[in-house]
Parts: sequence; structure tokens; C-alpha cells
Amino acid sequence: MKMRNIFLLVISSIMLVSGCAKKRDANERVLNLVSPAEIKGFDPIQADDLYSGREISKIYEGLLQYHWLKIPYELIPNLAEAMPEVSKDGLTYTFKILKGVKFQDDAAFPGGKGREIEASDFVYSVKRLADAKTVSTGWWVLDGKIKGLNEWRDRNAKLPTTNYDEDVVGLKAVDKYTLQFTLAKINPQFIYSLAMPFTYVVAKEVVAKYGKEFINHPVGTGPYSLPSFDQSKQITYTKNPTFREKFYPKEASPQLQHLLGDAGKKLPLVDKIVVHIIKEDQPRWLKFNKGEVDITGIPKDNFATAIKDNKLSEELVKKGIVLEITPGLDVTYTAFNMENKLFHNKKLRQAMYAAFDNKKDNALFYNNTAFPAQSVIPPGVSGNDPKYINPFKGPNLDLAKKLLAEAGYPGGVGLPELKYDIPDSTTSRQGGEFFQKQMDQIGVKIKIVTSPWPEFQAKVKKKAVEIYGLAWMADYPDAENFLQLFYGPNKSPGANGSNYDNPEFNKQFEDAVSMQDSPARTAKYEKLNKFLAEEVVSLFGLHRQSYTLEQGWLKNYHNSDFSHDYVQYLNIDNAKKAELLKNF
Amino acid sequence: MNIYSYVLRRLLYTIPVLLGVCLIIFVLFNLVAPDPAFILLGKHATQIQIDQLHHELGLDRSFIVQYFDIVKSSFTFDFGYSWATKQNIYEMIKNGAGPSLSITGPLFIISNIVAISLALLVAFYRGKLIDKVMLIVSIGGMSIPSLAVVLFGQYYFGYKLGWFEISGYERGFPGFVPYVILPVILYTFISFGADTRFYRTVILDEVYQDYVRTARSKGLNEMVIMFKHVLKNSMIPILTNIIIQIPTLILGLLFAESFFSIPGLGSMTINAINNSDFPVIKAMTILSALGFMLFGIITDVAYTMVDPRMRLK
Repeated sequence: MKMRNIFLLVISSIMLVSGCAKKRDANERVLNLVSPAEIKGFDPIQADDLYSGREISKIYEGLLQYHWLKIPYELIPNLAEAMPEVSKDGLTYTFKILKGVKFQDDAAFPGGKGREIEASDFVYSVKRLADAKTVSTGWWVLDGKIKGLNEWRDRNAKLPTTNYDEDVVGLKAVDKYTLQFTLAKINPQFIYSLAMPFTYVVAKEVVAKYGKEFINHPVGTGPYSLPSFDQSKQITYTKNPTFREKFYPKEASPQLQHLLGDAGKKLPLVDKIVVHIIKEDQPRWLKFNKGEVDITGIPKDNFATAIKDNKLSEELVKKGIVLEITPGLDVTYTAFNMENKLFHNKKLRQAMYAAFDNKKDNALFYNNTAFPAQSVIPPGVSGNDPKYINPFKGPNLDLAKKLLAEAGYPGGVGLPELKYDIPDSTTSRQGGEFFQKQMDQIGVKIKIVTSPWPEFQAKVKKKAVEIYGLAWMADYPDAENFLQLFYGPNKSPGANGSNYDNPEFNKQFEDAVSMQDSPARTAKYEKLNKFLAEEVVSLFGLHRQSYTLEQGWLKNYHNSDFSHDYVQYLNIDNAKKAELLKNF
Repeated sequence: MNIYSYVLRRLLYTIPVLLGVCLIIFVLFNLVAPDPAFILLGKHATQIQIDQLHHELGLDRSFIVQYFDIVKSSFTFDFGYSWATKQNIYEMIKNGAGPSLSITGPLFIISNIVAISLALLVAFYRGKLIDKVMLIVSIGGMSIPSLAVVLFGQYYFGYKLGWFEISGYERGFPGFVPYVILPVILYTFISFGADTRFYRTVILDEVYQDYVRTARSKGLNEMVIMFKHVLKNSMIPILTNIIIQIPTLILGLLFAESFFSIPGLGSMTINAINNSDFPVIKAMTILSALGFMLFGIITDVAYTMVDPRMRLK
């Protein structure tokens, strides 16, 4: 009897404690998001991964942003009053910045009250990104672009402390609200960098106060605030009480007209955001299915039960869940290391491409959800010609065998065994075995080499690989970001992991990227894209699509490749949530 | 030997061991592991940036200076900043220790109480039905992969029945309580089989001793015999098994923390390995080595307390 009482006491205590911990305000609009990766911290200059970029964008802001409801993507002013005035020679960009925008309140400011942002804050933030001592992962976005900035960086790298007071010719605060960039050479892609988290504005005094701990004390101008970050698995943001007057857009592209329900309302729309960091697929999926998370991707192992005939399963439809399919701006590819002379044989590359069954690859690894890639530029980016078909794309075994014979290796005779490097995950191993089988059909022997992810990356950067598979996601919606993967000066350890270096291609590329957006530039991009396709510089695989599920009570969501600051537009219908949760 | 002299001598022995651990860490990470710059600088790294990063991280200094850096940090516990998250490692460990202990602490206590109690029970009823049933359950618990237990438990008890939180964590008491119940229950099941079988064997060795027969012939209650006499005399191997678990409590449960999204030291270590975050890996390796050495000493001292026949030499 006594034991039973103790047992009942323990159980009721646990229930009581659990109950206390779960009390929530019923009227509060809370957005529950999930991140499948750890957040590295809240320093904009270190935001080199998608997930950290999304968190940072809840608190910090930049001069420009992508319009939430426009497709194709369109840059609009954010902390700038208007789009920049560009000089006739295309080298000088002058911005007027918004007046009255304040940094969030923090102890770093006098009296703990956030001060107004000024043009000099942007100058400081850009210099901080360029400072070699901060070891930013985002320096590449400005490397060689702003006049005098590289020289400033190199000079200060040799000094014990960086001199932020030293002027940079191409980076000026003309007055309190006027900011001017002068470029080293014409670079129309420069403007995209001003919408990326790397260039978000930070306050000098906050960086000075927290020093190395700045990464844990985010103080921006954005819609949400977070007192401090402690590498927790749950990040809770609350509305920034000093956020400026910013409103939900009143215009939308035709396909996004249905998201205009909150048009003209003051942003942000939800009171609180809880981001759950869940790295494993199952708990993420179960939490969504229990209604505890508002948006999720579909884990590979749950795809077949969630999606039937490209439609949402009945069980999920009953719960009010909505499926959104969006083409992603990316490409998967199998790269050759061109430093290996064997791969200078174009016919060999073409033969291998013709032997590879892209359709099976799509079925096995992407549940038939991706589009075949004819070259490197994905659909939706200028330079992709939707009518173009790569003549060497497989499966075409007869062509593959013919090309292999012309390459000097009939039936693979005389060709050494080729090493195919993969990271040591199950899916990569399956992908490696599939590639091995495909090549075996024409007599090309493949040896699979597995390495842990850091070692795999190091091998690519050190040019210590022969063939390897990779995917590239766009940093901004310009073909330059894809074509640069084969630009000679970007060879490893740069982004050109194929180490392809063709002087003619390099020259054409340089010409194209210095042109302003125009039909002539699109034509040049298309030409370069076809050139890479027929050169078969890589075995271009697929352009993947993103399958996203959202709860029925979530409003205004759509998938965007670049709008890291999307949460300010999202809304929660609490009444609908209460109703729909009955079906869970 | 005086207990204080013994402890002092053992503590002095840890110094050469620690120097050896530092050497192994240095060789593994400086000479064998891939260059962390490739991971830390991301997809657009240039050779100039890599060289600048090497300089900032001190990787361009001589090997001897780098080795002594590791030695220094292992004695001062100043492990510096994480390369991947740029956070102070001392703070990271401080923040991670609580969540790790909130799972491993209750798990340690509950699983050991359950395992020892069940071992006493099955030893007492050796050869009877309950012993056979427990044998099957224990072997089952040992044979089922822990991943399967976690996947099933999370799905069935967390999602289907909705009894527990599926994953997540809230800092502070009582916030964390709902999140640790399910992992503690599942890991008690995962660990009890092997522990129960081990403790049963240890206890059975004692049950057939002469003093047990004498106690019975004196008419002592079976409960008193089992708990007061048999358990006390079985304590040496039990104690060894229990104390050796303590350093791992602090290090957290690598797999469980990742699956249940517990922000503990286990998941921190896994992230550090994936990101080639050498300072964090170094800190955790040194702390583990120290933990094992320290608890080795505690085990030896504890022996003399439970068994007066034991002498420290």
C-alpha cells in the first residue's frame, strides 16, 4: 500500500510539473519553426549556411531585400529609402538610408536605448566583413568588388589591430543618411550582396562591448529580438518593440495573389517565434504531424507515405495540411578533376555522360520529383534555355559505347580504374554504387572511396580527387553564380572544384558578368551554358524541387530561395488552429 | 598506506598520462586530420583566406608551440573559443553540462536501482520462472539495437499515445522535466539487460558462500540476507561498474541528445567532430581523460570503504 502511494505521488508530481511547464497564453500568435541544423551564432559576417542566415535575418537587416510576393525574384529597398542611384559608368552606387530606424535596445547604448542607424554603420559593417582578423566566411561576396577595400584588408591583415578609421576610397558615408559604394570594376551582381546576411548592419558599440561574445548578443534593427543565444535546441524570439513602421506588401505576382490577405498590415504579424533545432528526421516529422511545428520538408523515408501521385496523402489532407512544390535554384553534378590529364579527353567525358541514367537517378534518390539538368544554369534563371536538350545526356548506351571507342578506350579497354569520392553517408554510398553500376555498362571501372565529410571537402579543396558528386544552390538569382563554378581563377580551393580552366570560356565569362541585365547578356549566358553542356565539364544531373508541408493555420507562406527574412510576413490563425488540431 | 598519500600519488600519476593524452590529441589533429580551414571557410575559400585563417588560428606556428598550447590548456582549463561557433568553450561546456546531467543523472540512478534490484530478485529466485522470464527480457533488451528502441519509443509513446514530448528541451526546472522522461525510460530499458545480467552473476557468486548458509541456518530473514549481507559483499564489482559510468554521465549521451534535441555535451561533441572544431574536441577529450582518471582514484578509495579487507598500496 505504501509503495503504491509513493508511486502515485511520483506520477502525479511529474504530471503537475509537466503541466506547469506547458502553460501558454491562448491569444498569443506563436510561430513554431524547425531547423534541421545547428545555428552557428548570430554574427552576420559568419552567416554562410542557410539555417544560420535565416536566424540572423530575424534580428538583423540589410540595405536591400527580396520582394516577398514577386516571382521572378525582385530586389527592393529595406533599410535604404529607395533603390540606389547608379552612375552612368556603372561604378558608383549611392544609397539614401531610411531615417529614424533604430537598433534594438541594449546595454551597449547609452541608457540602454538603441540609437538611430547612420550611413557610417554600413561603412563599419562592410569593413568588418572585409577585416581578415574576423575570418568571415562571407568575404567572397565583396572580394575584389569595392575600390580600395582589398588593399585596406591586406594592409590591416599585417597590423596587430585593424584600423577601422582608415578611409576606403570606394566606401563612403557622404553624410549621416547617404552611403556611397564605388566599384573597382563593373559588377552588376554586386547589388545582390547587399541583400545577403553577410552585409547586414551592426552597431560598432555593440561589437566593442561584447567582443568575442558579440556572436551571442544579437542587436539589430529587425522585427524580432533575442536577449542572448546559448547554443540551445530551442530559440525563442519576441517582437522587437522599437521596430519601425513596415507593412505587408500590397502587390503580388499573379501566382502569389492568394497571399495578399494581410496586405497593408503592420509587420511583423506573429508575437513570438519558437525555432526548434531538430537534426533527426523522425522527431521533426512526428512533431509536425502532431501539430507542434508549422512548416516542414518531407524526410526521404516518409515521402512515399506523405505523397501519392504527386499529391498529398488523404491522412494529411484531413489534418488541413497543405503541400507546396517549388522548383529550387540548384543543380546536382558529378565533377571531374580536370587537373588529371585523363579527363582532358572530351569524348571520355561525353561517353560517361551518355552512359549515366538520369531518370533512374531521379527515381531512386529523389522520388521522381526533380527535373533533368541539361547544363549548369537552373530553370528560372536568365541563361537557362528551356528548349535546349544536351545531346550527350544519357541514358544512351549505344552513343556512350561509340564515344568511348572514339576516346581511345573501346569497351573500357586501356582505361584505368577511376576513383569516385563520396562522403560516408548511407545515401552517398548508395549514389556511389549506382554510379559504379551505370559506368560498368560501358566498361568504365569505378572504385568508390568514402571519407568523412570534413575529409571529403578537404580532398576536393586540395585537388586530391578524380570524380566526385556535389550540388550547388544559388547564392543569388544570377547565372554568374553557376557559371563561376567553371571559371579558371576560381579553381580549388575556390568554388571551381572541377579545376576547369579554359581561357576562351574565362574571357567570355568575364565579358558576360560585366554586362548589365539585358537580352544581350542573357544570350551570352545561354551560349556559355550550352558550351559547358557540350564540353561535358561535369555530368549535370538534376534540378531539385522543394516539397514543403505547411499547417492549415499558417498564413502567407510560400517557398523562397533568398528571402531569409520571411518570418515577418507569416501569420497564425489561432481559431483555425484550435479547430484543425481536433483532427490530429 | 595513508589514504591522503595514496590519493596524492595517484594524482601525480595523472600528469604524465595527461601529457601523453595531449600528445595523442596533437598527433591526431595536427598531423592526421584534414585541414579545418576547408570546412570553416566554406565553399568560396581562396588560398589567401586559408593562409590568413591558419594565421588567425595559430596553425602556422611551430609544432612544439602548438603542442605546448594543448598542454597549457589541459592544466589551466582555458580551452579558448570554438572555431565553428566562435563561442567560449568554457561557457559551451557550462551550458551543455546541465542538460546532459538532466538526462544522465536520473538515468544513472534509476537504471542502477532497477538493475541491482532485479539482479537481487532473479538471484534470489534463480532457476525459477521469474529468472527465466527476466533472462529472456534482458537478452531481448541487449539484442534490440538502441536506435530501434528510440525510434519505436518516440513514435509510440511520444506521437501515437502522446504521453511524452517527442523531442525538445527547456532550460531550468521544471521546464526540462517533460522532455527527459521518455529518453530516461527508453535508455533504462536499453541498459538494464546487460547490467542486470552482470549484477546477477556477481550476486550469485556470493549467494553460494558459506556465510550465506550460516545466516540462513541462524534463521535470518531472506530480505536481510540479500540486501544486508549479499549485496554488501558484492559491492566491489558493482561499485566498479557504477563509478566507471560517472565520467560518461558528464559527457552526455551522444546519440540520445541528437535524437531528442537535448542541448547537452554529447550533441556538442558530435557537432564539433562534424565541423573539425578542434578546440572543442580537444577540450572534451581532455575532460574525458581527466574524468576517467579521477573516478579511477575514487573507485580505489571507495573499495576500502565497502570492503575493509582491501588496502591501498
